[in-house]
Amino acid sequence: MAEFFTHALSLVSSPSVLLLITIGVLFGIIGGSIPGFTVTMAILVVFPFTFAMDPVSGVSIMIGVFVGGYSGGLVSGVMLGIPGTPSSITTVYDGYPMALKGEPGRALGIGVLASFIGTVISVAVLVLFGPLLAKFSMNFRPWEISTLILFALTLVAGLSNGRLLKGMLAAALGLLITTVGYDRNSNIRFDFDLPTLSSGFEILPVMIGIFAFSQLMENIEKLGDKDSAHKNVSMNVTIPYAKIVKDIMGQKINTLRSSLIGSLVGALPGTGGTVANFISYDQAKKFSRHPEKFGTGIPNGIIASEASNSAVAGGSFVPTLALGIPGDLPMAIMMGVLILHGITPGPLMFEQNPVLVGAIYASLLIGAIVMVLCQLFLVRWFARIALIPQQVLVPVVLMLCAIGAYALNNNLFDIWVLFGFGIIGYLLWKADVPLTPLILGVVLGNNLEQQLFRALELDGSWLTFLTRPLSATFIVLSVLSVILALRQNKKINMQRTDDGGSSPLHRDSTPDHKP
Amino acid sequence: MTLITKDRALAVAMLILCGIFYAESGNIRPPTTWQTYGSAMFPRLLLGVIAVLSILILIRSVLEKRDETQKLTWLSAYQWTKNNYKVLLLFTLFGIYAAALPFAGYLISTIVFLACAIGLLLGLDSRRKSLLTITVSLTAGLAIYVVFQFGLNIWLP
Repeated sequence: MAEFFTHALSLVSSPSVLLLITIGVLFGIIGGSIPGFTVTMAILVVFPFTFAMDPVSGVSIMIGVFVGGYSGGLVSGVMLGIPGTPSSITTVYDGYPMALKGEPGRALGIGVLASFIGTVISVAVLVLFGPLLAKFSMNFRPWEISTLILFALTLVAGLSNGRLLKGMLAAALGLLITTVGYDRNSNIRFDFDLPTLSSGFEILPVMIGIFAFSQLMENIEKLGDKDSAHKNVSMNVTIPYAKIVKDIMGQKINTLRSSLIGSLVGALPGTGGTVANFISYDQAKKFSRHPEKFGTGIPNGIIASEASNSAVAGGSFVPTLALGIPGDLPMAIMMGVLILHGITPGPLMFEQNPVLVGAIYASLLIGAIVMVLCQLFLVRWFARIALIPQQVLVPVVLMLCAIGAYALNNNLFDIWVLFGFGIIGYLLWKADVPLTPLILGVVLGNNLEQQLFRALELDGSWLTFLTRPLSATFIVLSVLSVILALRQNKKINMQRTDDGGSSPLHRDSTPDHKP
Repeated sequence: MTLITKDRALAVAMLILCGIFYAESGNIRPPTTWQTYGSAMFPRLLLGVIAVLSILILIRSVLEKRDETQKLTWLSAYQWTKNNYKVLLLFTLFGIYAAALPFAGYLISTIVFLACAIGLLLGLDSRRKSLLTITVSLTAGLAIYVVFQFGLNIWLP
């Protein structure tokens, strides 16, 4: 593996790839720092530009966006009191008060350094556990793979903030979308006598349509709701380097714990930076000697939030590369990118594409270094970019989504697919249906059907799914995740009833539009 | 009792979808003699799951009173349209943009789309806004054209 990593490092260190990583990081930070834009949107917008690139370059720029995006939410969180991405919500709790006290540079510097450390630790987790998990999963046969996918989908559906039934519905819908067109036996399905449907739907216009339209239209709908009572923070930002290093050194355990939380949460399907920053902030407060100071502008809170949300980057690659199951929504898109470049993520990837795996490790590390440099030198410009109005941003992003969908196959039909699924995604979002399980269903649908049928062809009995130990374990875990989600739903519903139904079926945009 | 709520509308829509897709699944070639399960099995399994979940959502909606706060009436639809007409117009503009692309080409369609969409959202009640609309439309449209056509060698319509 070492020689592959060295070869990968030499590829990633070439001037052209370094430039691409830098562009990716810059774009990610800009995207992450604009409230409502999100890391996922940034990845979707950059993705079409990778079509003409080789796999290493394409993946490197995407990783740059990924790493930059997770740290970008810090900027508007500290300067405007508005989290740039949902994964930076808890950064605002201490970052904004610190900025209001006249120390915006200190808040930004602490956040950037914590992000860097979080990313580096998560890469170490990826390097250690990725190959181990891949090796373990080489024992997986079709029964285990199909039940693992089922477990991932039920887990994601269960994490839909009190909407288990709708989450499972969304997942099933996502799987159904993948059945359109020719199947593995060359039988056509659900073409409704339309020749254009015979090849089915490309994953990416479907994903972009479902996610982007609902996110962007949500931003338009919220335009009138903006709370304009944000106190001004001076845009003149100076970074006190010595003070920041001292702050971080005084919070070594907090930084390490938060990074590990982020890595672990990132590795779980359907979670991501949003969950990571809340858990990490909560744990930091619990372990603190002065929990009452959280929320007043102390370094501890910023470190907990930023270290964890950046650590998600490496953690989410673990199941994606090792199992072919995306750890979160941006990973689902990253998987789409890999598939489009002819690479199938999964246990064999470590054997068949060791150089690309090494390139991913190297890009994450280099991306983290580039992120620190960009943030520290350009942060005052990023703060200004966060003020770009949504009225200008939304049409431009829609246009980029359309051109991105078209550029996939130079096929205008893909734009109509984007539009059609955009309408569907928007209507589902209005009906309070979580979109993450839907998108995961679209990504995993073909694989699930393939593995399911392979299992049934090898042994026609459905009972084999229960008699094989690992397969049975995944089924039990799926059932447990549903039961736990039902209990969670009950708690949430009781809380809503106690609130007097004041926020019925309250839709928090964070579970749907995770970064 | 409130007749239509968001959940009930969703459940009914999903059941109709299941019906349509199940009927269409009749056109899928049946399994050959050496195949245990044919091509229709997996989609029908999914349609069954969607139908069951939709019925559960419907039942829950009828049993739980809190869903009645999500009721859909002509008044609420009118109110929503009044408050969010820009969203509907933006969808319409995008549809027109997609339809115009093969005829008018990328540059003209995109610049016009951006100008109309930004103008709709931002308003054109001041010279500054009009200037911003035109500048962004021209810059973004041209920049993407140059990048894709000459930088990435991806031909645009």
